Amino acid sequence: MRKAIFVSGKRKYLFCGAQEGMKLLFAVIERVKEEGHPYEIVVIDDIQESLQLSDFLKKQKMGTYLYVALSHTELKRVEKTAEEAGLTEEETQFIGYGEELKRIFCCRCHGINEAKNFEEEILCNQCGLELSVSDHYSVYHNAVLGYVAKL
Amino acid sequence: MKWTDNLENFPYPFKGSTYRYSNNSVPMKKPFCIEVTPDYLEEMKLKRDLLTHHPERCYQSLPHTLTGQWEIVELVMDHLAEQYPNQFSLEKKGRQWRFHNKILEEKHDFTFGDETTLPDEPLAFISKHVQEDLIFMMQRDGDLFLDAGQLCFPANWSLAFNLGMKFKSIHHPIPGFKEEGLDDRILQFLMRLEAGNPWERKNWSLMAGDRLDTSLETFDQWGKLRKQVTKKNAGELVHIRVEVQKLFRLPRTNGILFTIHTHLLSLEKLASNPEWLKQFYEILSELPPHITDYKGISLYKNEVLEYLCEQLESGKVL
Repeated sequence: MRKAIFVSGKRKYLFCGAQEGMKLLFAVIERVKEEGHPYEIVVIDDIQESLQLSDFLKKQKMGTYLYVALSHTELKRVEKTAEEAGLTEEETQFIGYGEELKRIFCCRCHGINEAKNFEEEILCNQCGLELSVSDHYSVYHNAVLGYVAKL
Repeated sequence: MKWTDNLENFPYPFKGSTYRYSNNSVPMKKPFCIEVTPDYLEEMKLKRDLLTHHPERCYQSLPHTLTGQWEIVELVMDHLAEQYPNQFSLEKKGRQWRFHNKILEEKHDFTFGDETTLPDEPLAFISKHVQEDLIFMMQRDGDLFLDAGQLCFPANWSLAFNLGMKFKSIHHPIPGFKEEGLDDRILQFLMRLEAGNPWERKNWSLMAGDRLDTSLETFDQWGKLRKQVTKKNAGELVHIRVEVQKLFRLPRTNGILFTIHTHLLSLEKLASNPEWLKQFYEILSELPPHITDYKGISLYKNEVLEYLCEQLESGKVL
C-alpha cells in the first residue's frame, strides 16, 4: 500500500478521507500540526459528501496541497474530481485501501482481464494462459502487464 | 536457416572486462539510419510474413503520428538511395515520388504526404523495405512517448502494450534503472538530441535459440529453450543478440526515429575469436544477478560459463 508522505513548504494542507482513511494520514496530520502549518480536514463518509467536494476543491487557492485517503473504488472518483478542479500530480497524494480491481493485459493475446489487487497469478479469460501480474503499468491501456507465469 | 552473422560484420558490443547499464551512445560516424546486410532477402521475407500474420503484434500507431511517419519515409528512402545506389533509387518530381527497390524488384509511385497513394500507412510501408525495426517517439510535455512503431524482432517486449507509453514507464521493468537515475539521465539526453546529429549505441543479451522474432507475445514458445541449454550444446544453441540502435531527431515534428537492427551470433562463432572469448567469459562471470535476470540469462548462465571455460582451456586461448 502507498504511504502518505509529508511534503514541506506548502501554503495549506488539505486532508480528505473516510474515517478509516484518516488513520493512514495520521502521521502527516500530526506533523503539520506540530510545525504549525495551516490545514483543514474534510471527512467524507458518503457519496453525497464526495460530490460536494468538487466545489470545495475549486475554491482552494494556489499552493494548497491535497491528501486523499479512501477505499480504492471511491478513490478513483475523487482523483478525477481533483484533476477537474485543476490540481496536478505534484499537488496531490492519493492513498487507497481495501480491495481494488486491476486490469491485466495478457502478454500473449492482448486480452484485458480483471483481477483483485492481492492476486499474483491469474488465468487469461481469453487465451487461458497462466499470467503473473506485474507492476508494469500502461496509462494508455489503464492496465498492468501480465507475463507468462510458467515456462 | 541460421540467422547468424559473419564474424567480420558482427557488431561486437563489449569494451573492458565488466558490463553495467549505461548511456553508451556515441555520435554516428556515417549518419545513415539503416544498413543492408547479406541477410536482407531472408529477413525481409520473415518480416513481411510476420506483419501479414501478426499485424497487432508487429505494427501499432496512434492517429496523430502521420506527419512524423512521412518524415520517416523521407529519411529512410533518402538514406537507402544515397548509401546503396545500386540497390535502391528515389526520384522526386515535386510531391510525385518514385521509389525503386531493386533487390525486391518493386517500384512504388506515390504522392508524398498523401496516404491514399500508398498500400499501407507510411511507417508500415517503409518498414517493409528495411531490416531494422522502426520506433517513432514523439516529444511533448517534457517527455517522450512511444506513439508508433513497427517491431518484428523485439528482445522480449510488447509494442502493443508499450504503445502511447512515456519513456520512463517503458523502462520501468529494468532493475536498477530508476534507482541509479539512469532513466532520467537518458531521457534528458534524448530530449536534447538535435536534427543532423544522430547517435547510436549497441545493446546486447543472450538467448537460447536463434529466433529473430522473440516477442513477448510468443515467449511461452521460445522461452522454453532456456531450459534445454547444457554445457555440451551451448555453443550451438546459445546466441548473443546485439541490437544496433540509431537515434535521429526529425525536424518537422520534433519526434525521434529509433531504428533497431538485430544481429545474432552463436557462442561457437563468438568463441572462435580468442579475444572475444576471453573478454566475454570475464564479463559474464562478473555480471551481477539483477542484470542476468533481466537479460533472461539466469536459467542457463552456469552452463554457458562452463562451455566458455572449456573453450578457453582447450588451448585455443592462452
